[in-house]
Amino acid sequence: MKAFSRLSIALFYSLFCISVSWADGFPVDKVYHPYVLANERELEWRLTSRQNDDGNVLAQRFAYGHSVSEYLTIEGYIVGERDDTGDFGLQAYEIEARWMLTDQGELWADWGMLFELEKQHREDIYEFTSGLLFEKEFTQTSLTINALLVYEWGKDIQDEFETEFRLKYRYRYLPALQPSIEIYTGEDFVGIGPGFMGVHRYEGQKQLKWELAFIAGLNGDAKDHTLRFALEYEF
Amino acid sequence: MNKPVNKTFGCAALFFGLFCQSILAAVPEYHIQLKDHLFFPSRIIIPANQKVKLVIDNQDNTPEEFDSFSLNREKVIFAHRKAKIFIGPLKPGEYGFFGEYNPNTARGTVIVEHSKKESPDAN
Repeated sequence: MKAFSRLSIALFYSLFCISVSWADGFPVDKVYHPYVLANERELEWRLTSRQNDDGNVLAQRFAYGHSVSEYLTIEGYIVGERDDTGDFGLQAYEIEARWMLTDQGELWADWGMLFELEKQHREDIYEFTSGLLFEKEFTQTSLTINALLVYEWGKDIQDEFETEFRLKYRYRYLPALQPSIEIYTGEDFVGIGPGFMGVHRYEGQKQLKWELAFIAGLNGDAKDHTLRFALEYEF
Repeated sequence: MNKPVNKTFGCAALFFGLFCQSILAAVPEYHIQLKDHLFFPSRIIIPANQKVKLVIDNQDNTPEEFDSFSLNREKVIFAHRKAKIFIGPLKPGEYGFFGEYNPNTARGTVIVEHSKKESPDAN
């Protein structure tokens, strides 16, 4: 019944979160799975490049993560972005915790929670993200959904709540190639596009995961495309 | 009550029902030993279209990681500890699994059949 208690709290929290507000940020990012693997450490690199009528926005994240128990993993990030003058530099720092609420396959679907705290470099802007991670297997396919609530505050920003929604429907074709459809929504943004991921195993727990997605914005702009790519080395 | 509130409560009731159903349903258990980096039994026969729980008892002095792409499961089994792994409902067929730390020896197969037959050496 422990899983049931954890899940009930998470569900009602998420229903509250989703009913509060909508996002005006840029929601295309990783779609998180609700799983944690014990003893796992990882190095991660993510790249997001968005091209619209205003130009190109490039962001990169470098991270180190470590699972601290069978159900909890902690990851620290440094975020770099290209600024208005075209220079690429440090933009933010972030710490993230992912909590696996149920064992995989234990319930009708698998559940987890995500918590992130981000501080902008040289600006008094903070961002706290929390939300529910969901995954459900349908034979050889998996549906993953993230429902996130973001709160921003600080002297250099107007305090506000935002929500983000991310969805991935993946066909587990081969370990090295798993095509998917990804959907992202927030205020003034709806995006959809194809994605691909794969895993290459080395010995023991060592493996390299890659993800690639091309998301087209459907929010009325003449041009709004996002390419996202991620590499994760787990060891 | 307005429509969004009704929808919220409707969704909550639906999810609550699904959770209760998942928790209250009895799940058959199949026990596997891991000793000297070998799974025993290495062939587990389970019924089709039914969720089951594999309980793996690691009797070795080192941890092992249960891994199966076809079963879509990954789980670390600590030394001298038991781990539970829920699998299914599955279609009839054979689903291989292995231990990531000792992939040459720690290997096994879950055999899914229509009629419910238990492996003779499964507990």
